[in-house]
Amino acid sequence: MSYALRDHTADVAVEATGETLDSVFGAVADGMAAAMAESTPADGDRFSLAITAEGREQLLFDYLDELIYERDIRGVLPVENRATVSAPSESEGAADGGGLISQTPVTRVLDENPGSSAGDETVPRDIVPSRRSVTPGDSETYSGVPGGR
Amino acid sequence: MTTYDADGITLERVREYVWEIPREGDMRVPARVLASEELLDEISEDKTLQQLKNATHLPGVRNHAICMPDGHQGYGFPVGGVAGIDAEDGCISPGAIGYDINCGVRMMTTPLTYDDVRGREEELVDTLFANIPAGLGGGGVYEGSKADVEEILERGVEWALAEGFALPPDLDYCEDEGRRTDADPSRVSRKAKDRGRNQVGSLGSGNHFLEVQRVTDVYRDDVAREFGLEADRIVVLVHCGSRGLGHQVCTDYLREIEQTHAGMIDRLPDRELAAAPAGSQLAEDYYGAMCAAINFAWVNRQLVMHRAREVIAKLFDLDTGEMELLYDVAHNIGKKEVHEVDGEERELYVHRKGATRAFPAGRPELPAAYRDVGQPVIIPGSMGAGSYVLRGGANSMDVSFGSTAHGAGRLMSRTQAKQEFWGGDVRDDLRDHQQVYVKAESGATVAEEAPGVYKDVDEVVRVSDALGIGDRVARTFPVCNIKG
Repeated sequence: MSYALRDHTADVAVEATGETLDSVFGAVADGMAAAMAESTPADGDRFSLAITAEGREQLLFDYLDELIYERDIRGVLPVENRATVSAPSESEGAADGGGLISQTPVTRVLDENPGSSAGDETVPRDIVPSRRSVTPGDSETYSGVPGGR
Repeated sequence: MTTYDADGITLERVREYVWEIPREGDMRVPARVLASEELLDEISEDKTLQQLKNATHLPGVRNHAICMPDGHQGYGFPVGGVAGIDAEDGCISPGAIGYDINCGVRMMTTPLTYDDVRGREEELVDTLFANIPAGLGGGGVYEGSKADVEEILERGVEWALAEGFALPPDLDYCEDEGRRTDADPSRVSRKAKDRGRNQVGSLGSGNHFLEVQRVTDVYRDDVAREFGLEADRIVVLVHCGSRGLGHQVCTDYLREIEQTHAGMIDRLPDRELAAAPAGSQLAEDYYGAMCAAINFAWVNRQLVMHRAREVIAKLFDLDTGEMELLYDVAHNIGKKEVHEVDGEERELYVHRKGATRAFPAGRPELPAAYRDVGQPVIIPGSMGAGSYVLRGGANSMDVSFGSTAHGAGRLMSRTQAKQEFWGGDVRDDLRDHQQVYVKAESGATVAEEAPGVYKDVDEVVRVSDALGIGDRVARTFPVCNIKG
């Protein structure tokens, strides 16, 4: 299982190879993380998610889409991804016309870029105080610091 | 007849800077490229021309599918592509609008001159960087609730004004006064809203940035005066879009179209052109969601600009009202507009992906202040090169559905740029040799965006001016740049 970042006119492409579909999926996800950050902290927590789609290509698309979603809402960068891709069981396949499921435990790592400076203390960071308005009852919490970084 | 052969695709010269790929096979209309031969050499290097040809297969496409002078390969539809597609019997294609819905640029004028800023660049760039969120992931000027996101999607910059993030004239100098009334927030998924919630007022990553610039050249004195631009004047340019929210809207609808209109997609040469037929429920839903994402992006740029305005006011002891929005332009957008097709007025979904609306003087859509001179068009350049302010040219409605270019395309891929450059060196060189101060979240981003990785924007603007679709008004050069 391996990936390489490839040239693309406007963006960056990920090429991934693996012995099995499982390892290819994991490698594509790892490549996507590599395209987003130069390096990652060594520790983190694993979490899992499940995706169902109507076909193999669509499953990969939806899987990556879900990882990006996790990144944005929880401030995590999924790395060291392991995917398990399975075809639906006979009965499910007959019932809904087919689907593929990817169960993916991924490492949760805080989305911090080690290359960024922590900020110079002399800089008036609070020149315009950030405003925060979270409706009581919202259960989600964000790891982002108000004001941006 | 003069022709240009580009690896299997032959273009016929219609007149200076206008090239046509004649209709053949399943092409519904011819394709046109607006470029000099020099630019055509660059455009023909990747799949841009094939993608442009593919776009002429979309049902209801009218007149021509058009490639702007800065066109390059995109996903399915070229970046720098414009297609006017019939809103009655055509279709709407999310891929022809782009993932970053309403990615765009705005420029704010200030009363400062370059002399006022010289010697204080480090302080300015550090303070802007500390106060304006940039980079991947979360954190914005405003961290809102679910209800806030709904309001932003519905009301656009009117929300920002009500919340104290705008001055009243800011609304006048934005397309549609900063509010797309066709927006339907109920058509935007929960996932998209979740992603938008903590990104309101943030630059993001990639080629997005905020730049303090000085005006270096003025080409049309009378128009520049109307725009408040003169040599040595300090201006602020903001380039960003709808962040994760817009990306999710595009993703959601591409997937839904794929599932609902598979038959139509099978008849297209590239599935990334996936489109919803005009009049279908999905077309209506996507249009409502896309317009809501447009509002979100306007609010995003507004909050970034307003924060910069407050920072500059404090540092230079100015009143915020002394800094005015010149104009806000979108360069990834789809809009219902009326254009002439075969001598008849038709309502079209005008898809502009990496292309900027450039309406000429006299158009009722323009704010009163610009109705006699034409719409300001802002074309950002790379860090070591200038940006341009144009005005919508007299020929734009006939030539390009009222559009012109949006910037310079990449010359070198991101991966290659990171091999060639080291962010720290690029930053030091810019400071020592060009007096440009750069501060970024990531050194890799500086390398990816190094001067030299982009094509020359001068030639793009020269061709736009010569075609009369976007006339050169002024050129600016960076002083400070912050990015993700």
